[in-house]
Order: sequence, then C-alpha cells, then structure tokens
Amino acid sequence: MLEIQDISKSFYHKIALQNVSFKVNSGEIFGLLGPNGAGKTTLIRIINQIFQADSGIIRYKNELLKSSHLADIGYLPEERGLYKTMTVQDHAEFLGRLRGMSAQDIKNALNFWLDRFNIQDWRKKRIEELSKGMAQKVQFICTVLHEPKLLILDEPFSGFDPINAELIKHELIEMRAQGKTIILSSHDMKSVEEICDRVVLIDKAKKIMEGRVSDLRNEGRTGNYKIQFQGNMIAFVNALWINFELVDKQILSDDRFIATVAMRGENNFDSLLQSLIGVIKIESAHEDLPSMNDLFIKAVSERKEIADV
Amino acid sequence: MSKVFIVAKRDFLERVKSRSFISLSIFGPLLVLLLLYFLFALGGNHKKHWNVLIADQYKILDNKIMANENKAITYFFADDYIEIEEFAHAKKFKKFDALIEVNEKVLSNKVGFVFYKEEPSSKMQILFRYHVERRLEEVLIQRFTSLKAQDYRKIKQPLNLSFKNAYDPKEESKELEAWGGFAFGALIYIFIFLFGMTILRSTTREKSNRVIEILLATLRPSQLMLGKVLGIGLSALLQMLIWILVIAGGLFLLRSTMFPDVFDPKYVQAMADLSKGLETGADYFSKLEYNAFVELVYDRIQFGTTIFFFLLYFLFAYLFYGAFFIAIGSSMGSESDGQQFVLPIILLFLFSLYAGYHAIYFSSDTQSNILFYLPFTSSLVGMVKLSVGFAEGQGYTIYLSLFVLLLSSIIMLLIAERIFKNGILQFGHRLRMRHIFKWLKKS
Repeated sequence: MLEIQDISKSFYHKIALQNVSFKVNSGEIFGLLGPNGAGKTTLIRIINQIFQADSGIIRYKNELLKSSHLADIGYLPEERGLYKTMTVQDHAEFLGRLRGMSAQDIKNALNFWLDRFNIQDWRKKRIEELSKGMAQKVQFICTVLHEPKLLILDEPFSGFDPINAELIKHELIEMRAQGKTIILSSHDMKSVEEICDRVVLIDKAKKIMEGRVSDLRNEGRTGNYKIQFQGNMIAFVNALWINFELVDKQILSDDRFIATVAMRGENNFDSLLQSLIGVIKIESAHEDLPSMNDLFIKAVSERKEIADV
Repeated sequence: MSKVFIVAKRDFLERVKSRSFISLSIFGPLLVLLLLYFLFALGGNHKKHWNVLIADQYKILDNKIMANENKAITYFFADDYIEIEEFAHAKKFKKFDALIEVNEKVLSNKVGFVFYKEEPSSKMQILFRYHVERRLEEVLIQRFTSLKAQDYRKIKQPLNLSFKNAYDPKEESKELEAWGGFAFGALIYIFIFLFGMTILRSTTREKSNRVIEILLATLRPSQLMLGKVLGIGLSALLQMLIWILVIAGGLFLLRSTMFPDVFDPKYVQAMADLSKGLETGADYFSKLEYNAFVELVYDRIQFGTTIFFFLLYFLFAYLFYGAFFIAIGSSMGSESDGQQFVLPIILLFLFSLYAGYHAIYFSSDTQSNILFYLPFTSSLVGMVKLSVGFAEGQGYTIYLSLFVLLLSSIIMLLIAERIFKNGILQFGHRLRMRHIFKWLKKS
C-alpha cells in the first residue's frame, strides 16, 4: 500500500529523518512510534506532501506518491485545527470540497457520521461553542468524510475521555475490517498494543525497530509467568520449591498477590499450575510478555546509553 | 484552480458574514455622507462682509447701486480701468474683496465680470448679480426707453456675470480637482490597510490554530495563498461597491433636496421669480449656501472615469500590498509577533500620502512623475494626476503606471509565495529579518 524508502530530511543543520524505510500493508493498522522529536510528524508531513523529502522516495500502490493521491488520504494532525467561527456543517463542506467531494456526497457522509456518533444536533453549532472533546470528534469526522483509503492519524486519542477514546478505537477497528489502511502515531502504548498490527519505532531520526506487535513482544519474552492469587505467600513460595523461582511479587491486599515466577530446568507452565493448585486460589495466570510500553522504553533507553558511551 | 476558489469562497463568506464587515458597510458610507454634508453646509466661505469695487470707467452706473444699502456688501466705485494684476496685488486695492468690471459694452451684451480674491458663496454671487442687474435695469430704463420698469423686465435678457479668480483669471489651477483625486487615492489606501490587516490576521489565526496543516494536506501553499488574497480581496471589492452605491445614492438625495443644481429648471424658475421681486425666489436662494466642496463633488469630479481607474488602482495595489501582508502573516511565530513588521508598511502608506499631497501642487514635476510609476505610491499619485487631467497625448501614461503596478504585484506575489511556503509551518519562533531572507532563498 505505502512504501517509505530511504527518506531523509534536514532542517538547516538539524537532521529530522535519516534513511528511514518501511512498508505499510493494505488493510492493517500500522503504529508509528517514537519519543517526542524523533521525526514522526516530519515523516507524516512528507507523506502528506506538506514537506518535500531531501532524498528517498515514497510509493503509494506501487506508484510514486503524487498530489493526486492525496484525495485517497485522510489526515488528522496532532495539533487539531478548526475555524472557530464556522459551523460543523460549513466545516465539513469546506474540507469535503477541498478533498474533491460533491455537495451531495458531503451531505450524505456528514449525515452518516452525525447519526453514527449520535450528534445530529451539533450540525449548526459553531466550533467555538463545542468543548475540546466535541471539536475532536468533529475533526475526526472531517478526516474520514471522504472515505479515505489511507488514514493517517497523529495522536488520535489525545483530548478524548476514555469513553470517546474507546469509540474512536472501535471505529478504527471497523475501518480496518472494511479494508482501509491506517497509520497511527501515538504515545498511548496500551492503545497501540490493542489495535496495531505492526509498528515501526523511530528515534533520533532513525528507524530502530519494526515488526508485528505480537512478534516484537514475543522477541522480548523472558519465560516468566505472572500468577495472581489469593492465599498465603509463604505457602506459595514453599509450593514453588526448587523447580521454580520467585522473581518478583506485588502485594494487592493482605491475602492477594501477583507473583512473577521463572521456570527452572525442564519445568513448564503446566507443572507450575499443578504445583500450585490446592495450595492457593489462582485468580489469573499468564505468560509475562513485555508490553509495548516496556519495549519502547527499553529500545529508546538502550540507544541513549549507547549515545552516552 | 477550483481549490483556489473554494478557499476564496470560504474567506469571502467569513469576511462578509462578520459583524465588522456589516457595520463598516452600513455606517462607513453614512459617516462619509455625514462628513460630506457638513463640508457642504459648513465648510465654505463665511466671510461676513464684502467690500466690492465697481470699476465703472464710463460711469454707466453713475456711482449708484441699490437704493437700500445691503449690510453684507459695501460697494465702492472707481471711474478708471483697473488691471486685474494690479487689483490682485496692489496695496491700494487690498481692502477690496472683489472687483466688478462694468465696461461700455455691458448695456448691449449684458456681460460683466467679477474678479474675486476669495470665492464668494453662491448666495453672495446671487446678491452681486441681483444688485448690479437691478441697477443696470434702472440705467437702461432711464437712458434708452420710455418703458416702465415692469415692462422692461418682461423683455430683458438675464445678465451673465462670469466669476473669475483674480489670482487665476484663466482658471488654470486644478487644485480643487486634485484634492478630489487625493481623496479617492486615500480611500484606496485606507481600504488596502483595512483588508491587508485582515489577510495578516486570517493567516496568523490559521497558523496558530493549526488548521493550516489540514489545508496544506489538500492543496499547495500557492493555492492557499492565492485563494486567501482573492477571497478577502473580493470582500473588499464588495464593500467598496456598497460604499460607492450608498454614497452615490446619498449624494443624489442631497443634490435633489439640500444642494440643488443651479442649472436645473427649478433654479431658472426661481431666478425668474427673484427678478420679479417675488418672495418665493428669495426664499429659495436663501437656502443656497454652497461652497467649494459642493462645486467639487457635483461639478468637477468625473465620476465615471474616476471610479473606473479607482477600481483598477485599488485592485492592483491591493494585490501588491496584500503580498506584503500575507508574507508577514505567514512568517510570524505567534499572533502577537510580527506587529513590528507592519510598521514599515504603515510608513510606506504615510509616504504615499505625502506623495499624493506633493502631486496636488506639482502634478507634472519630475518627482511626481517618478512617484506615478513607483508601485508603492502610484495609486495615490495616479488618482491625483487623473483628476487634474493629462496633457494632450499623455493619456497613455496612466495605463503605463497601471501596467507597472500590475507587474510589480505579480512579482511581489511570487516572492510572498516563497516566504509563505517556507514560513507557514514554522511555529513558536521570534520573527527576525534573517528568517525571511532564509525562506526567500529556500526553494
């Protein structure tokens, strides 16, 4: 769908991107991750042809990206911008026309989305009359109004309360199901973990990690398991005996704990459960995979350490 | 191109729907009309007493005029020929405000001349005419007829008193018209400044609320810039047309109610009534307190030609100065930043006003001719020159001046586009000249 190939960009003496390459497949939610100032927004602006890359190429559907492809793209920038004195409807019409939609198509699409979010009565409201979250929703509608095949969202969940963040997440998953491709730039690693199929991590203008979310997490696996239980901690430790090792514990209350356990020898998860059943009451048990947040922090910290050395 | 019009339409509608636009469209022209009314009614000649010397070489009037002396005018008589130059400058004639020349032909051709040092009001002109005419009637009746005065008046011809400026008897000075042109030119600059500031504010607002990023993902910076200049320009043009229509309508109303045309049939009838000694005529003339402004607005300005070139100059000058405003707006790091960069434009405007003022008095000198082609000042100087008129064969120069202005506007828009393209996505910096030069160099 979209192929980023050796993209570099500098602003005077500051390098914003250095030979960044990756591919975004059709019908996936792709996470573009990185700390502040890593170069994510610059890359997004290059894809949207707001900036021109110093070198490198971008292919869209196997063609060199050109301005006519912009009609296929929907872009929600990190810094939301709407004309405060315009009504929701006028806004949708203005941006829809700029995206090449007919008046009738705009009307139909706007009706669809206002119904979907149950906000028909906002139609004639001026943006300045809306709260920040409401304006965010309007901006999201304006971004998807022209049914873009590729959606680029920069921090789409910021400014939303948990309910509306869930609502947007649900819409994105639905769009993926419809075959749309979504590039998502976010610091909300929980959301990334939940909805992204693949991610790329950029730090200090360079790509440092790329892959499927599940693969990256599996790569970082330690073989430890997390057991949440109710009972006596001493009895729990005794049950581990010499076959397992208590790596970490978290006290939830007087008799409730989360314990991180490492395997010794040939022992596995099944034998661990067999040792514990009857000793304590197991509430949950799962493999202790690193979260995207852990991977993110680890990757960025390692690079920092290397740079410091 | 259609994207340019979409942006232009949005900016146009945003502007014309704003309260400030509606207020300015209604109250602006009304304020101008009110000002004009006061200038018409109060701004003229209020000299209370006139000393008028009648040069009556052949003693036709026999040192007499009006049986009852008028309080506003004292007539003096001289029985020798007086040179106009001498009357205008000689010390002995200093106390006289006007000279009425009665020559030997007056009895046959009914033509006399009044040379004034300061233009008399219309009412005063009518009094001069009335006094001299009445005295002449008596003389004619006495000398040449056996008719009664009433019979004579039935057959008499009206006296044509031609009023001339003693300092400029051939009326070569066009200062009054030049001021008219200056007013039009100044109006161009006022509108450009008002709408230029709108461009600047609109650009910085889009920049600071970051809507610019969404727009630039759908169109090129040049399209956005052009749409913005076009949309705000059209709203300026609309406002200007509203002003022209309201002011023209107002002037028409004033003309037909308070400041009637001295050549219209109503006036002629009243004149006839006055000559018959009827009160209705006297009442009518008592209302006619005209001054130079009335004459300028109703008689001297050629509105058709003036408005045509006024609109052309406005359009091109708006594009020229608009490019400056949009370049500054796109370079600013915050909404408050960059106000300092408006100052040079204000200075340019002030310089243009001075250039126009200079052209009023020296419309043909070298400086005026240079300023006529300089894009910064050409609109004002051009309007002044147009109102004064061009020498035969020089009419093309106004088109040349317009062409230079248009060409400069295109060049300025191209320069502004470069600054706009590179500066519009820069936020939070403190604007310095080096930024502008850097963005100018960058492709």
